[in-house]
Amino acid sequence: MDGVVFSIQRFSIHDGPGIRTTVFFKGCTLHCFWCHNPEGIRPKPDIQFFPERCIACNECVKACTHGATTLVNGIRVYDRSKCIVCGKCVETCYSGARILTGKHMTVDDVMSEVMQDRAFYETSGGGITLSGGEPIMQPDFARAVLERSKAEGISTAIETAGNVPWEFEERVLPFTDLIMMDIKHMDSAKHRWATGVPNERVLSTARHFAMTDKPIIFRIPVIPTVNDTVEEVGAIGSYIRDLIELRNQNGGDGDHTISLELLPFHKLAGDKYRSLDMDYRAKDLKIPTKAHMAELAEAAKTHQIEVRSR
Amino acid sequence: MIEVNEFQELTYQERIDSLRETKQRITQEKQQIIGSMDHDDWGLILPPPDRREIVQTMSASGMPITDALIAGFKVKPNHPSGGFFGPKAVGENFRALLEIHPVYIDPVSSLAGGYMANFMSYRKPHWNPDFDFGFLHVDQKRYQLGTGIGAAQHFCHDLSIGFELGWGGLLEKIRHYHDVQQAEEKDPEERTQKMDFYDGLESVVLGMQDWIRRTSEEARKSSLSEANPQRRENLEAIADINTRLVNEPPKTFREACQWMNWYQMAARMYNGNGALGRMDTLLQPYYQRDIDLGILDDEEAIFHIACFLVRNTDYIQLGGPDENGSDTTNHLSFLILEAAHRLRIPANVGVCVGDHTNPDLLRRGVEIMFEDKCGVPKFLGIDRTTEGFMKNGYEAELARTRAYSGCHWSAIPGREYTLNDCVKVNFGRVFEVALKEMMADTTIEPSIARLYELYAKHLQHAVDTIAKGLDYHLEHYHQVFPELFLDLLCYGPIEKGLDASHGGVEFYNLCVDGSALATVADSFAALEQRVEKEKRMSWQEIAQHLENNWKGPDGEKARLMMKGISRYGSGNSPADGWALKLSQLFTDLVKEKPTPKGYNMIPGLFSWANTIPMGKHLGATPNGRRAGEPISHGANPDPGYRKDGAPTAMAVAIASVQPAYGNTAPMQIELDPGITKDEGGVDHVADLIKTHFDLGGTQINLNIMDAAQVLEAHKDPSKYPDLVVRVTGFSAYFASLSPEFRQLVVNRILTEG
Ligand code: SF4
Ligand code: SF4
Repeated sequence: MDGVVFSIQRFSIHDGPGIRTTVFFKGCTLHCFWCHNPEGIRPKPDIQFFPERCIACNECVKACTHGATTLVNGIRVYDRSKCIVCGKCVETCYSGARILTGKHMTVDDVMSEVMQDRAFYETSGGGITLSGGEPIMQPDFARAVLERSKAEGISTAIETAGNVPWEFEERVLPFTDLIMMDIKHMDSAKHRWATGVPNERVLSTARHFAMTDKPIIFRIPVIPTVNDTVEEVGAIGSYIRDLIELRNQNGGDGDHTISLELLPFHKLAGDKYRSLDMDYRAKDLKIPTKAHMAELAEAAKTHQIEVRSR
Repeated sequence: MIEVNEFQELTYQERIDSLRETKQRITQEKQQIIGSMDHDDWGLILPPPDRREIVQTMSASGMPITDALIAGFKVKPNHPSGGFFGPKAVGENFRALLEIHPVYIDPVSSLAGGYMANFMSYRKPHWNPDFDFGFLHVDQKRYQLGTGIGAAQHFCHDLSIGFELGWGGLLEKIRHYHDVQQAEEKDPEERTQKMDFYDGLESVVLGMQDWIRRTSEEARKSSLSEANPQRRENLEAIADINTRLVNEPPKTFREACQWMNWYQMAARMYNGNGALGRMDTLLQPYYQRDIDLGILDDEEAIFHIACFLVRNTDYIQLGGPDENGSDTTNHLSFLILEAAHRLRIPANVGVCVGDHTNPDLLRRGVEIMFEDKCGVPKFLGIDRTTEGFMKNGYEAELARTRAYSGCHWSAIPGREYTLNDCVKVNFGRVFEVALKEMMADTTIEPSIARLYELYAKHLQHAVDTIAKGLDYHLEHYHQVFPELFLDLLCYGPIEKGLDASHGGVEFYNLCVDGSALATVADSFAALEQRVEKEKRMSWQEIAQHLENNWKGPDGEKARLMMKGISRYGSGNSPADGWALKLSQLFTDLVKEKPTPKGYNMIPGLFSWANTIPMGKHLGATPNGRRAGEPISHGANPDPGYRKDGAPTAMAVAIASVQPAYGNTAPMQIELDPGITKDEGGVDHVADLIKTHFDLGGTQINLNIMDAAQVLEAHKDPSKYPDLVVRVTGFSAYFASLSPEFRQLVVNRILTEG
């Protein structure tokens, strides 16, 4: 069993409790224009190019047999449309100017990274988090990694945007200890404007999750122009209150197992967009202030839900 | 700046603030006059301008430094070389220095005294040329060894001896054993040597008594003209206390702090000693007594400790097991941490972390790290070092008494001679010698197997050379520059009439540290992958690139190719395997046998601040390092070892390469966790620390920093005069460091290498 992974981050302390290792799955069903991990959007491996590291050795030109990297008047030209992402040029690019982002990894490959920090999970109450992209776009691979982690006694979490068939999420649930799920907007049209897809399936997934007994942390990436008003965050808060009620009606303890986290927009992804020849449409947005984040957290709290904010 | 109105009374915190400000003023003055100080801050105060002389000299660890001396003081040589050697001459000269040493009293501090000159800087030459170890020179130079020959201090005394006897009692003890040995020592030559030794010890104590007496008189005099009642009272108390301490042992908590202040300052002045040991345990009886009598409260205790810490950057252990394994953490442990926290200056307080050590100490330590961002405290994996030390054949009861007392090291107070942190084997140089030998031999096909064989052969040779040098040191050092000051507070030297470096104490466990582990592990791995497996280059080509220092066509490409392998620290990589193998080889060679004269050696991995000088004399290495660049730091992976810079990856790697015989291979780590103390940061960092020790780690030197601020300060350090960083085992004002040293700290922050 293998899947496409674009990064494995150890000492991950922002993606669930304790010290964790986050495995980033490549491929996403949403196209949020501010995405912090644009290299995770396309499902297949990509070539990233960082020109400032290039030492002009032209090894990549020699390596490419597909006409994707050529010399035109002594200048290297890379044509992404001709590139089959065979990775040959990357192997000869020692400067790190060309990077292959996304690798086919087996469950063993992933686990050999994850297991190295096992002692830290034990001390800190941490574990493994599957993130992305959308990890549940590769449900069987995700399930296999989670299943193996559980067998090793490692606590598990997923970070999903929820825009996948419920049946996919269902496959991973038995091996998932904690669900982290993004909700970006309550208005479907605006959701589509911001992410490329409407929100019906996302909200349906959220309801399905609420009907289980798994702890859930809902997360709102607070993005100016998208959802950074008291009304918009308040609407999501109100929806989460409904989900808590839903869980309570089903005999669960919604108040103590469902919470909300607000994550401020940041602009650290600019270089990554450039390296992928992608347009970074969020580059002119302003980073929300601490005070504003606090105000939004207050708005959500009026719905009697537990809220954390950064 | 605190304005002291003539009659205003200051709170303890205001007095601490004033001490910090005075210290900063002194530091800025030192930066202007001495220039960069790439070492422990020492707490040294410059002599008054009219009594100041600037010289080039050598630190106790063998680093060239600029130093300020007390002008006009001339030592009396007893040797044609112009040097002074042997206990009598050394003792007399030190006494003379103490007798002209200016008095320093900060009326805000509860403790008098400040030291202004390093006695070591008057020693020219450092070594008595009559003792010729030329027979070792060729190999010492060839492997660029830090041999430890002539190195001072770097073991630990036991302050409780001094607390019990006082200077008067010490003098009596010296005179008593002088007479005993005079009567009992039959060998006339030995007897003469011993008598010289007692003369030397006596001179030191007499010098101390004079310094303290003059200080008490000066305090008395100033108190008479002091208008501010609080200060007057303080000066009177200083005068009273010090009049008593000329002879008497300390009785109260404040007196114990004052006694400790004198001893530690003078020991530092004598030969750079910074060892202290278990301060919380040592002071506990005085603290308890005064609390029981109702004459001391915690605020005052914190203040006295702060007054001590502002004058002394000594290495202190808090908590940890007593001989029976019970935790010694007490209320004072927390007060000492608190004093360091309120001061926010360079300090070297080590907090024990272990299965039976109070976990609140670790927690409080990490909280302070977050609040102050001064690299204080540091963290000691006490269970691992204790178990490791037992592997040398010692009982648990004894092993537990080893106390943290220097940059990366511990010693049994008063009973063990160690030369810790003085002996360094630069693996990089050994590797270079091996590679050159292999390439010069045209009769064989170069290979990794052959290179490793040669490396092992030369490392063996280097360790043998070290061992012979250690024997030579132990044979002659007492006739050169004996440990007169630390001898006073050890068990044995006074009784036996023998210097600690010459059989005076019970245990001899000599520290032998390896350095450049990552440089060499990555070099082996890069050659193995690129040359042997992938065949991207021939051995001759890579040898040529190293020779040319990666210049010339394709040089940079080759360099990046070699650098671009998965390096030590990335986890499960061949380079990680090499680091393990190299550390194991070194450990085996050091532990294989004692020195020819039978002294035990203990391996560790630590390069202290020597990464820069050791790198300067090393050619380009196959890991992509250019000639002259610093070697890797201690057991640390090279910066850029992993794209995510994950501290857990570093923690796993360093835990795996421990020699584990009781000496350390510290983890030097800088964290900008991007979360605050209140967002769970303390838990994450405490868990990281604890787990590193669970995995086998021995010591952590940690900076929690705002990376952006440090990068800013690197551009213009004068804008951040109060920024303190843990450079390695020691902490220092960032602005006091040379640009090269600041760069070293900055490189560690930048994870993308
Ligand atoms: S990945 Fe393959 S096809 Fe694409 S540019 Fe590189 S060598 Fe050419
Ligand atoms: S191989 Fe890399 S460094 Fe060389 S020209 Fe191509 S992109 Fe630049």
